[in-house]
Amino acid sequence: MALGIKKGRLLAFAGILVGALALPFAVRDPYVIGIVNFIVTYSILCLGLNLILGYTGLLSLGHAAFYGIGAYTTAILMTRHGFSFVPALILSGVLALFFGFLLGLPTRKVRGDYYCLLTIAFGEIFRLVTQAWIGFTGGAMGIVGIPIPEVLGWKIQTEIDFYFLGLALLGFTYGTLSLLTRSKFGRAFVAIREDELAASVMGINTPMYKILTFSIGSLYAGLAGSYLAVYQTTVTPSNFRLEESCLMIIMVIVGGMGSLAATFLGVTVMAVAIEFFRPLPEYRLLIIGMIMILVLLFRPQGLLGASAFKD
Amino acid sequence: MALLQTDRVWKKFGGVTAVQDIALSIEKGEILGMIGPNGSGKTSFINLLSGIYRPDKGRITFAGEDITELPAHLITRKGIARTFQNLRVFPNISVLDNLLIGRHCRVNTSLANIYLNPFLSRKREREAEERVVELLDWVHLGDRKKELAKNLPYGEQRLLEICRALASEPLLLLLDEPCAGMNPVEMDTLAAFLRNLRERGTTLFIIEHNMRFIMSIAERIVVLDAGAKFREGTPGQIQKDKEVQRIYLGEEEET
Repeated sequence: MALGIKKGRLLAFAGILVGALALPFAVRDPYVIGIVNFIVTYSILCLGLNLILGYTGLLSLGHAAFYGIGAYTTAILMTRHGFSFVPALILSGVLALFFGFLLGLPTRKVRGDYYCLLTIAFGEIFRLVTQAWIGFTGGAMGIVGIPIPEVLGWKIQTEIDFYFLGLALLGFTYGTLSLLTRSKFGRAFVAIREDELAASVMGINTPMYKILTFSIGSLYAGLAGSYLAVYQTTVTPSNFRLEESCLMIIMVIVGGMGSLAATFLGVTVMAVAIEFFRPLPEYRLLIIGMIMILVLLFRPQGLLGASAFKD
Repeated sequence: MALLQTDRVWKKFGGVTAVQDIALSIEKGEILGMIGPNGSGKTSFINLLSGIYRPDKGRITFAGEDITELPAHLITRKGIARTFQNLRVFPNISVLDNLLIGRHCRVNTSLANIYLNPFLSRKREREAEERVVELLDWVHLGDRKKELAKNLPYGEQRLLEICRALASEPLLLLLDEPCAGMNPVEMDTLAAFLRNLRERGTTLFIIEHNMRFIMSIAERIVVLDAGAKFREGTPGQIQKDKEVQRIYLGEEEET
């Protein structure tokens, strides 16, 4: 957590920005842009998860549920209630934040492994509800025919349009999270991860901060879900399984816990690996697991992470 | 008026009474020592004062305010800071960040400010950083500020933990066995440092097993035995007290 932006970092940042804006014009292949869009979506998700898991040290296996809450909110509002995209996006974020707040409440009493079980249960309940409540969520068929989103008169239709929309959301996510993590709030989250008792004696209201980290981290998952809904034009329960939650955790760990910039690398590495092994679908999970084990063995702090959890 | 006063506090864990009926006061500007055999309730008592435990009975007042029911983070804000017996610095982050976390409750920014008024919150962060760097320079750790806390030698980690507590600008500093694991030279440095701190107006409450250290630094000493206050007096009185020697060394065998 270096304080203050140095010149070199500013230059690197400008370079990355120009590169990101130029990317779709350099690579015109819609297949590649599709993978990049997947990376962008998962980067938004994993940045939020990194706040919860990497900074505050709470293991949450229910992150896909918040992703789903955002996606279903946008899908239902846009198909049935005539909402346009921007208000649906905002409401998706707010609703995910609200559920994040609710799921954050038990952190006051339930600790460690038990809390992790609770998040798994939350994720599974969400998925089962979306499957079973056919009238509201369309059941296993999901919701189809989500209209084309429009932002300030700009109709978003092609892969490249969606890339820029995703990039804008990603920029918002990274910008707001890096302001947060560089403040006293970010330090308080890290203090809770390092030693919760000591943190409380440092004047940190630890129960409040744990709920806060959960609410904020979930907000971004809601935004990513909203993006997914308009991008795919359909939403089904199979987008939000435990498997997706696990994949996000692996991405955060491979990149590096407690580092926002590292998240991009983790997501990219895993996304490319998944694409690369797409011809071998039955070995995909095996390979994902192996990558994670190799990273944990040889670089426990993650590819770019600053600090490992073991000494 | 006493800075901190405990009024007959009790703490039980199941059938074990860890703290019973302790009434003591810490005067503003003094160095009060606490000794007692292992398991006599010293650490439990400090946990009560710092809000980690809540007393079953009794009252704790600090600077004229009742703090008995307050949670730990609010007690820190009121001006009581502490260190731990078994070193608890944040190992995987830098020395500077350790201190900035210690200063948490004195950094006056809200969540809304970070986004709506980033320049103000940036300024507050810079002010906090200036203050803790001053503190680090004072204890000659200034050039180590980028180092991860776990990479410091043990003695410096101990010092870092005290500084982290000081970063919250406490009126009262509670130290739980500050010289555990230190060699005599490090102890003398620590004693000089603590006296200096007292000169600057911080009141100190120190639990310590090392008699040479505590007798040389404390102005008054409280002896605990089996959770209760056993004696209170000047170091000279405590050293001469036969009963204190008895609880520490056991009964002499009659031959």
